[in-house]
This record gives sequence, C-alpha cells and structure tokens, in this order.
Amino acid sequence: MHLVYSRKAADNQATEVLTVPATLDSLAHISAFIAGATAQAGLDEHTAWQVELAIDEAATNIIEHAYDAAAPGAIKLTWQLSVDELIITLHDWGRQFDPNAVPSPDVDASLDDRQAGGLGMFLMNKLMDTVRYEFDEQHGNMLTMTKHINRSSEAPQVFGLSGRLDASGTDQELERVRTAIGNGVRHILLDMGDVSFMSSSGLRALLLLRKDVLARNGVLRLCALQPQVLEVFSITGFTQVFAIHRTREDALAAFGQGAP
Amino acid sequence: MDIAHKRFNRADLLSLKGRLDAASAPQLKQQIESLFEQGRYRIVLDMSELEYLASPGLRVLIEARKRARDWKITDLEGGDVRIANLPPRIKEVFDLTGFTALFETYPDVTEAIGSF
Repeated sequence: MHLVYSRKAADNQATEVLTVPATLDSLAHISAFIAGATAQAGLDEHTAWQVELAIDEAATNIIEHAYDAAAPGAIKLTWQLSVDELIITLHDWGRQFDPNAVPSPDVDASLDDRQAGGLGMFLMNKLMDTVRYEFDEQHGNMLTMTKHINRSSEAPQVFGLSGRLDASGTDQELERVRTAIGNGVRHILLDMGDVSFMSSSGLRALLLLRKDVLARNGVLRLCALQPQVLEVFSITGFTQVFAIHRTREDALAAFGQGAP
Repeated sequence: MDIAHKRFNRADLLSLKGRLDAASAPQLKQQIESLFEQGRYRIVLDMSELEYLASPGLRVLIEARKRARDWKITDLEGGDVRIANLPPRIKEVFDLTGFTALFETYPDVTEAIGSF
C-alpha cells in the first residue's frame, strides 16, 4: 500500500501530512492520523470525536465521488495547530466538487419523504466551526475545516519533543510548550519518544517547566523516554519528582486521576 | 464491524459491534438484504456495542426501514426496523441528523423484540 507519512515542527506550529489512496481501506489510517492531531491539540474526548467524524465524512465523499472507482487517486491530509484552532485540509485531484450541488437534507422530514443523501456534508457543517471548499484546475479540490480549541479545557495538551535536550537545543523545543502554558493550557504531556539525548541543562529546563505548570495548578507528565534519557532521570533521582509513563496512552489515562 | 444474528419468532436480532462507517456499511446492508430475501421484515438492531456511526451507516438504516415498512400483514401490522440500546455517542448522531424521530428506539433488546 502506498502510504506517505511525514512529521515536522516549524515556527512553533505542529503540522503533519498523510497521503493515502482514495479507497475505503484508507479510512482507518485517516482516523488514526486525525486521532494524533486531536491529541496534540489537547481536545477533550467529545470534541475529538466530532473532528474525527467530520473528517471521516469528508474523506468518504472524496472516496465515493472524486475519482472513478476503477482508478482511485490520492487524498492528501494535512493538519496544523494554531494558537486557538486545529486546521485540517483534505486535498484531492479528482473531478471538481461543487458543494452547492448537494441538497441539504431536511432533517425534519417524515420517513417517507426523507432522502438518504447529503448527510455527510450536513454533519461536517454541524461538527466543525468552518468548512471551506476551493477548486482550481491546477491544484484540484481543497477542503479546509477548522475547529476551535478551547484553551480553558481541562484536557491535557500533548507535545512531541525531539532531538537533543542540551544547552542549545532545549529552549527551542520547549518554546511552544511555554507558549501554550502562557495561553492558559494547564495540563501538559511531553512525549519524549524522539529525544535521543538529555543533558543536565535539559533536566534543569524541565524542572523549571514543571514549576510553572504546578504554579498554575496543572499537571506535567512525561512519556516514552528512550533508555539513555530515562537513565539521566534515574541517576539524578528525578524519577521520583517527575511523573514518567511508559506510553502516551498510559500517560493520558493518568490525567484526570489527580496529581501524580 | 462484527454483526451477530439471532432469530426469534417475532423478529430477527442483529447485534452490531465496532464501527459502522463507509467501509462496513455494505456488510450491514447485505445482512439486512438477506433477511428480506428470507421474508424476514421485522428486525431489531442492538447498538449497545456500536462504537462509531457515520453517514453511510445512516443511509443503510433509512433505506432498510423504508423497505421493511413496505411489507404489511394488515394495515396495522407489518415489517419494521427498530433499535435497542443507543449509546450516547450514537444517540448524538441520531439527534444531529433528525434520525431520533425516524426510528422507534427501545432501552433494551427484550422490549424491542416484544414490541413486534
């Protein structure tokens, strides 16, 4: 199966791209991809489900209508986080989609008069804050949807750190975490799976971050530490200070069960 | 999605488990079609273990109920597709799309089967 997955963090904004064939088999990949986005955005379970359903409906429309079933093209999904929005785009190169050609379902109609079509678009509009369609000959169909992120939410926000947490690298990695805390995010999960090295400066920066989080009555958790990074915590005795979890799932499950 | 089938005198019970989306909707459609072909037009869908519902699933439900209700014994008695156990998230999809008013729903399977 043709599957392209890339991940980068630029300008303090998390963004990821997924390109999959426009077939029903791709829906599960798309759903997992969007689950990653909603976790990064720190959305609560209900809001995350709304986003998942909206994107599922959008992808289903592309799979069923954009291409000929015999020769499915690609769907390219992108998600991006701004300060207060999760922005998701779906891009396809199939036939032009005209949203005005899809009649809106009459949700008050009786069973006999009720038409079965148009429900997908109806749900997308209900579940997302904005839905915008664009088309041009060169770039195909571009569908952009946004969901407001409620920063006062008690849901933890997840940050994926990467590279070296040393004297020069730590500040840059933690900048977007500090920005989020400044914006009112209280509960923080640092996924350290891609961190290959941590020095004492890195450890000190995490301690300061923890102090900031605690001062705001928040909770800081760490997860997925590589063995050599975990060792820095254990030899300094800081495994007792930080709430360290084996996997992201374990850590997320621990939020809401009180302070570590 | 897993679909378990159980036959009662009054009706056929289909228990849906997992995700009812574009990928699995044809499976439910086929299962219901096969009941229709056997002359079984009284169907209860147990949704207690349904985790996810998207519009292709809703399309199958509405078409199935229309077909079932075309089958009549008398003016008052006939076929139907009825629902037992709507989990909150599935109920929310029903509420958003106006499906709550389109289906008879029951708090458990026994009541739903007994309603026929």
